[in-house]
Amino acid sequence: MPIKTLLVGVALLITLIAGILTFMLVEQAPRATAPQTAMLFADQSELPEFELLDHDGNEVGKEVFKGHWNLVFFGFTHCPDICPMTLTVLADAQRQLRERGLALPRIVLVSVDPERDTPDKLGQYIDYFGEGNLGLTGDLGQIRKLTTALGIFFEKTPSDGDNYSVDHSAVVMIIDPDGRQHGIFSSPHVAGNFVNDLPIIMARQ
Amino acid sequence: MKHIFLVSILAAFAACSGESQPPLVASDVIVMETMPGMNMTAAYMTLTNNSEDDIRITRVTSPGFASVELHETVIEDDVSRMRKLPELIVPAGGSATLERGGMHLMLMRQTGDNAAVSLQIWSGDTMLLTIETSYTKR
Repeated sequence: MPIKTLLVGVALLITLIAGILTFMLVEQAPRATAPQTAMLFADQSELPEFELLDHDGNEVGKEVFKGHWNLVFFGFTHCPDICPMTLTVLADAQRQLRERGLALPRIVLVSVDPERDTPDKLGQYIDYFGEGNLGLTGDLGQIRKLTTALGIFFEKTPSDGDNYSVDHSAVVMIIDPDGRQHGIFSSPHVAGNFVNDLPIIMARQ
Repeated sequence: MKHIFLVSILAAFAACSGESQPPLVASDVIVMETMPGMNMTAAYMTLTNNSEDDIRITRVTSPGFASVELHETVIEDDVSRMRKLPELIVPAGGSATLERGGMHLMLMRQTGDNAAVSLQIWSGDTMLLTIETSYTKR
């Protein structure tokens, strides 16, 4: 066998072995097994009973969360900055998860301004960020049942004349398909954090 | 980044500055389109002061909105609070950034459509800058 052919054969063999070793190393590299951003609750409590309206005007209770992984944000439609910014991030995370063929969480917007957020208005708003999402509004006292249980703060703050704003928690709560408080994403929100953590979280159930 | 918008500057103001550049320049202007059912939105931009004096912005107007206010979102301890600012000072030779999650213009009670938008930036009774742009989809 000519030496040249032998050398080529040895080179190909070395390349093949190097490729196999690289593949094995990559496959065995440690993968994230725990969420990097989200904080998961040790005590995954059930939600309290409440009676709210969904964005179609249907009366719903805590069962409305069941059967879905829910990313729950508390905001209001007259919020020009942080609310649409957060919902855009969540919608972007949904899109990226969909592109990867992964399971999708549902975005839920709970209004902290039921005075202005009728079901119809909330429906138009939440639909803007994609299909299959959920808006909840209704009696202020009923909303407070939910926010108190979840540790969500909100407070109406007067502005000029009859105008007002609402200060509110900027976190995104995770409510699991059993309707339990599962964890929390603190702000600021970045789509990549949800895309990285949610498949890990959602695979745990 | 995407856009540089300029902008009619009051000739008198420009002449007084003695600069070749306009004294106040708006760049990276983003006016978010209003969402269905809503008649308010937010605008963001970078304002650059090319003059040797601070520029005090006291109000912003738009023919497409009944009211425009300068607001600031502050997030502390995971709580978002939005406050109206009485004015915005763009320092001499410096800039001020209106961005998501920070200072922004709140445009309220839309009277026009989502085709185009015009903003006028004022210092007292002097209009410093007019911005003409299109809306940005979310």
